[in-house]
Amino acid sequence: MTLASLAARNLLRNKVRTSLTLLGVAVAVVTFLLLRTVVAAWTGGAEFAAKDRLVTRHKVTFVMPLPKRYIEDIRAMPGVKASTYCNWFGGKDPKHEREFFGQFACDDGYFDVMSEQQVSPEELAAYKADRTGAIIGESLAHVMGWKVGEVVNLETGIYPADTPWTFTIRGTYRATSRNVDKSSFFFHWDYLNQALPEARRDTIGWTISRVDDPARTAEIGVAIDRAFDDKDTQTLSQDEHTFQASFLAGFSAVLHAFDAISLAILLIMTLILGNTIAMGVRERTQEFATMRAIGFMPAHLRWFVVGEAGVLGLFGGALGVAIAFPLIQGMLGRFLEENMGNIFPVFRLPFGATVAALGLAVALGVAAALLPARTAARVKVTDALRKLA
Amino acid sequence: MNKPDDILIRLRGITKTYERGGESLCILESLDLDVPRGSFAALMGPSGSGKSTLLNLIAGLDKPTAGTIDIGGERIDKLSEARLAKFRASSVGFIFQSYNLLPVLTAAENVELPLLLAPVAASERRRRAQTALRVVGLEDRMDHFPRQLSGGQEQRVAIARAIVNDPLLLVADEPTGDLDRKSADEILTLLETLNEKLGKTIIMVTHDPAAAARAGVIHHLDKGRLSVEAHGEVHA
Repeated sequence: MTLASLAARNLLRNKVRTSLTLLGVAVAVVTFLLLRTVVAAWTGGAEFAAKDRLVTRHKVTFVMPLPKRYIEDIRAMPGVKASTYCNWFGGKDPKHEREFFGQFACDDGYFDVMSEQQVSPEELAAYKADRTGAIIGESLAHVMGWKVGEVVNLETGIYPADTPWTFTIRGTYRATSRNVDKSSFFFHWDYLNQALPEARRDTIGWTISRVDDPARTAEIGVAIDRAFDDKDTQTLSQDEHTFQASFLAGFSAVLHAFDAISLAILLIMTLILGNTIAMGVRERTQEFATMRAIGFMPAHLRWFVVGEAGVLGLFGGALGVAIAFPLIQGMLGRFLEENMGNIFPVFRLPFGATVAALGLAVALGVAAALLPARTAARVKVTDALRKLA
Repeated sequence: MNKPDDILIRLRGITKTYERGGESLCILESLDLDVPRGSFAALMGPSGSGKSTLLNLIAGLDKPTAGTIDIGGERIDKLSEARLAKFRASSVGFIFQSYNLLPVLTAAENVELPLLLAPVAASERRRRAQTALRVVGLEDRMDHFPRQLSGGQEQRVAIARAIVNDPLLLVADEPTGDLDRKSADEILTLLETLNEKLGKTIIMVTHDPAAAARAGVIHHLDKGRLSVEAHGEVHA
């Protein structure tokens, strides 16, 4: 027997309470990890954004369009290798009312600029040859059950039409990395533009440019914006990471809510541990008095209590990770990536959050034990022994 | 008369007062006591007479309001809390009325407990615990948990724990208070053996005259004053 094993043995004193506490901590850790995975999956696109790409949009908001003629000026800018442009379509399939996926009307150079979304040369050629052709992500094809050659009708409130917009799927794109969206729907910008009334034609939502030197991305973005400073419509150019981050900023309230809930979960975990430790200390007042009588120091008792809480936190945290890993990586992650890939292209347990969860479980366990440990160390030996007698 | 070297416990002018609700309550007043080395002394008196307070002072669990306490040549009333804890670990063996064994430890592990504080190897701790349990006749119950033992056996394990570090002094607070007559006799016989065969100095607080009669000397405490009874004669 050692002092450490004595502390560990106390955890087995009340097996039901210890098990329930471990389960409580584990549930808190699973919930915490689930929330962090949601946040990581949501913001993951921004983290993995290409460093050599610039997004140019209306200076006020990306909801307002730019004149289409701007693309030629941008392509002529020194340092710009290639540029493409898109409009947000905002439609849905009447047969799949509840399925949300992004649809974009882009020019034919889109897949050259967005090289991480790859289409086979044959399918790309077939797409370019068909004015109503569409390229869709693999995940979207899987979820909607769409096949190459299939005709799809979409409805949109942004570009109303007497009859549904009709597209023929000419190919699917594959993503070169897990964090790239695999659930989008692309079609020809010309098809959209020509169908619009005269007054709404020749506008674009945003441009995406690839630059020849990633180190000059910001500088080139400033040059683009300066070029349109004197025009009626001014632009704002941002590297892809900043653009995606500013897009996410629109959801900052949700992200902040997730952070607040994560914090609340940690607080609950601390209270669960604190309650268990405090109860254990209260029940063992006379044992602590006996130990003090036979020569144990207050510091010994403090370490027993803090050590127990730390071990409880560690085991509870490990149990939580053991539950979260198959749940998130294997079951939930796979389901969400396949069915909600447009929102969660990669839904995987972040390593940093896992380590943080384990560390926090131990640290908060220790923090929760500080007050009970102080109580144990300050037990008045003669009073406690008298109560016993 | 004992020679100065033969006195293990020497108390002089011991006063102990407690503050209760702004009022000063005197439990012991100018008390003197000499306990010779190797003696078996009983401490009797009515409830609230200060027996346990006196025992706590001798064991280094409490400090006097005034007076000096000398145990084996060391002034323990002057020691810091940390030094007092070391003194208790090395020099005092405690036997409580309710045994106070740790329920999560086996009999052998409970006996080992005080040795965790000393620089003793694990194998040596185990060996000494076995020896102590053999002395109290419980070698065959080493791996039993307290809940698997009778009250008398639990108290014998507690006695083994008290003697395992070979202390100068054993203090016993109502050691037979929770036991039936037969078990109480066994415990008192064991204490007598420890006193006579191993030369342990024992101070025992008890309400039970039959238990006190097993001691060599009986000290009566009443209203903060001590009187001693030896061979049936009481001296103030």
